Amino acid sequence: MTDRRTVGIVLISHSRPLAEGAAELAAQVSGPDVLVVGVGGTDDGRLGTSLDALTRAVEKVAAGAGVLVIPDLGSSVLTARSYLADSDDLPDAVRLVDTAFVEGAVAAAVAAAAGLTLDAVATAAEEARDVRKL
Amino acid sequence: MSASSDLVAEAQVVLPADLHARPAGKVTSLAATFDAEIELAAGARTAAAQSVLAVMGLGALAGQTLVVRARGAQALEAVAAVSAALGET
Repeated sequence: MTDRRTVGIVLISHSRPLAEGAAELAAQVSGPDVLVVGVGGTDDGRLGTSLDALTRAVEKVAAGAGVLVIPDLGSSVLTARSYLADSDDLPDAVRLVDTAFVEGAVAAAVAAAAGLTLDAVATAAEEARDVRKL
Repeated sequence: MSASSDLVAEAQVVLPADLHARPAGKVTSLAATFDAEIELAAGARTAAAQSVLAVMGLGALAGQTLVVRARGAQALEAVAAVSAALGET
């Protein structure tokens, strides 16, 4: 609890409102100590994903404790993969996780708020795949 | 196994409010800071206190009694802190 740098979280979707709404929800549950940013849509405002927007979002939440990227579907995953593969100069350790978008975001944000490491936050996000809600 | 890692503790808390997303997040973040396995039980349902989704899935409501159980080196501290947080939700 001495080091208050927390893992940053980026949610990437085709839809900007979807990504921003999920980020808002996750941030509400986790409290103010965690940076959660939602990014989505093309640079000209249509549905889609943008490598530039993802790059800016990762830079925004990077605080030295690592960044977790949670994609929704299809090209979100591809965009995140190409970001990881093609960026020579990542601002922080960046991990892409395979999980449910909303549940994973909430679980990751809460784990990050506890000051957990990037590995532990990624594990919390991935466990969200198996939690039943009914 | 050292003796200290086998510490167990338990407490009961009557929830002052429904255990919705935000209080569940608070309890989970706190639970994750202790070296202990912590479990919440609401009636027959149990949840790992370190899993916010599981805690939300308890569907615990105001007035319900939750049992907080912990095992591990910091079991006593964990039960005290998590019980206090649940009592403030």
